[in-house]
Amino acid sequence: MLEIKNLHVKIADEDAEILKGIDLVVPQGEVHAIMGPNGSGKSTLAYVIAGREDYEVTDGDILWNGNSILDMDPDERAAKGVFLAFQYPMEIPGVAGLTFLRTATNAVRKKRGQDELTTPQFMKLVKEKAASLNIDVDMLKRPVNVGFSGGEKKRSEILQMAMLDPSLCVLDETDSGLDIDALRIVSDGVNALRGPDRAMLVITHYQRLLNHIVPDKVHVLAHGKIRKSGGKELALELEKSGYAEFQKDAA
Amino acid sequence: MSVAVMKTKTETALVDGFGEIADTLPGGGSVKSARAAALARFAGNGLPHRRIEEWKYTDLKGLMKEALPVVVDGESKTTIADVIVAMGAIGRLEVPRFVLVNGHYRKELSNLDGLNGVSVAPFAQALSSDDAAAALELREEDRGSDAVLALNSAYATDGAVIDVASGSNVDAPLLVVHVRAGPTPRRSVGRNQIRVGEGAAITIVEMFVAVPGSAADGQMNTATEVQVGAGATVDHVKVTTDLGQVTHLANWLVDMHGNATYRAFQYTAGVGLARNQVRATFKGEGVKLDISGAFLARNSEHIDTTLFVDHAVPEGESRELFKGVLDDNARGIFQGKVVVRPDAQKTDGKQMAQALMLSETCEFDSKPELEIYADDVVCGHGSTSAAIDEDLLFYLRARGIPLDEARALLIQSFIGEAIEKVQHEGVREALMIEAEAWLAARSKTNK
Ligand SMILES: Nc1ncnc2c1ncn2[C@@H]1O[C@H](COP(=O)(O)OP(=O)(O)OP(=O)(O)O)[C@@H](O)[C@H]1O
Ligand SMILES: [Mg+2]
Repeated sequence: MLEIKNLHVKIADEDAEILKGIDLVVPQGEVHAIMGPNGSGKSTLAYVIAGREDYEVTDGDILWNGNSILDMDPDERAAKGVFLAFQYPMEIPGVAGLTFLRTATNAVRKKRGQDELTTPQFMKLVKEKAASLNIDVDMLKRPVNVGFSGGEKKRSEILQMAMLDPSLCVLDETDSGLDIDALRIVSDGVNALRGPDRAMLVITHYQRLLNHIVPDKVHVLAHGKIRKSGGKELALELEKSGYAEFQKDAA
Repeated sequence: MSVAVMKTKTETALVDGFGEIADTLPGGGSVKSARAAALARFAGNGLPHRRIEEWKYTDLKGLMKEALPVVVDGESKTTIADVIVAMGAIGRLEVPRFVLVNGHYRKELSNLDGLNGVSVAPFAQALSSDDAAAALELREEDRGSDAVLALNSAYATDGAVIDVASGSNVDAPLLVVHVRAGPTPRRSVGRNQIRVGEGAAITIVEMFVAVPGSAADGQMNTATEVQVGAGATVDHVKVTTDLGQVTHLANWLVDMHGNATYRAFQYTAGVGLARNQVRATFKGEGVKLDISGAFLARNSEHIDTTLFVDHAVPEGESRELFKGVLDDNARGIFQGKVVVRPDAQKTDGKQMAQALMLSETCEFDSKPELEIYADDVVCGHGSTSAAIDEDLLFYLRARGIPLDEARALLIQSFIGEAIEKVQHEGVREALMIEAEAWLAARSKTNK
């Protein structure tokens, strides 16, 4: 279970608060969606869960399965099952996709006390997962994300997620930039990971994604706080009325 | 006008020491007088210092604190096993090798089997031929200004003279291994000559290495003259991994004839003070030149790469890519001068120098210099120096890769982009292993 309690966050060297007291609980087996206007702090929340150092938590806590993760390094969190699919996946020139995937997969397996995968085992797994996401394995011989289209980068994030077998998946606008078919393929990939042991936080601007990945709950994040929570029908309401209501009471 | 400058102790020793060993250096009367003339040229100018533009970042006069004695005969304890160990990862390649220890050819450590269309002979032997003085004497344009080259001509003891017959396609890379050995600090002075006939193809790897347990200190002055025949393809690699506080001064003087392809790669790591100078001249049209390299330096090491690319004729292509990893108080220098002469229309030149800075106290000086006198040319250059990208580091760590490993992966990928330039697979992979070993030594000392 993910528990976020009264989370206050600012940029390390600046004064302005970005997150101003977030309270959020995502139980195992559930998928929650977060929607909200640009600049409201959605990516910030995602980064802070993953452990990015540019942000400073000034108050509150994040618990994963009952333990605070705030003092853990990003790689330790990954080993504990935290995975963030980035809104803007990074290009890593000079590091082949397969090398990267294999290093990452074996690093988390090792920390989880599992056997590291041999090359044939690893290749078999990659081929299987890549095929289900319609990714050409040849693409993974190229440096990570270099020269990939926007949609290809997003699919490559989901492949990494599938390989790392996380228990807390945070998807930051994974749907933006995907064409209609890719959206379905990626959604199928995410749905395949849905299960009683996993919690998911899906950040999106579009109700459309939530037709594919049907959420248990929808939250509206505006001006650094959760302003409203509801069922999946909340996304439909927002589609009609926009965020005007939440802009008002921000002051 | 040259201002009279006081001679340093080192300069005095370099001049006075010559008389003591002149008679033991190879070569008869004409060679002896050519050596004496070279020494006189050196004595006139002394060591280059920072007020000479090309040496402004490497003040040899200040940095070279002593002149170690030149080894007049090789030391004989070194075994084949020592040589193989000294060569590191490349030692595992089973390819022909020409081995010199402390500046002298050692037949029993060499193995030149299986070389077809190539003749390899010791430079000392060339110095006893009829035309010996000509063999020693450098070309006018190289002779005049360079003090390090003048010292090379005065003191050169031995080296490899490689002739590749026209049309020969030599598969295996030929290694020329300069080994430093023995507990006493010494100076070695080597001269290599490579002549590749028309349409021939060969890979030559020059190595500068030390047998483990050798003196921490040492000096090397090496010069290699290269003639790349028309239509020939030459891959010329230099691997300098000598350990300890050695002073390594190297010159490559390269002439490239019509439609030749010359690819140079220089790997330098773990050297106290290195100056790698390359002068490459386009002698015929349609030549393709690629000079690349990787340098890795820590502690107070100082690695200087100075290129002089001379587009003297039309339709030449030149590419330079140098990448350096600098740590602690290390200093990296890249000077890339490209001259496009008035006749050299349709020249296409690109240059890039990049440094990855691992500490706050390391320094990278980059000085690209384009002198273009022709109007129909495409030339560009760039230079960057940056620390490891924190965003990339976070991305890797968010995927579960621990900090040290993530750093190593990013440094490797940075330097790997340069090492990728090496065409020969075995050599390329061996250099990647060398770079990884250098990095591994880093994370060990940081713990
Ligand atoms: N590293 C940073 N430095 C300065 N400001 C930042 C930084 N990161 C985020 N911010 C600011 O914090 C606010 C929240 O940004 P965040 O990226 O979390 O928004 P978001 O809700 O994900 O928006 P979007 O829907 O456009 O992706 C913005 O005003 C942004 O400019
Ligand atoms: Mg965002």
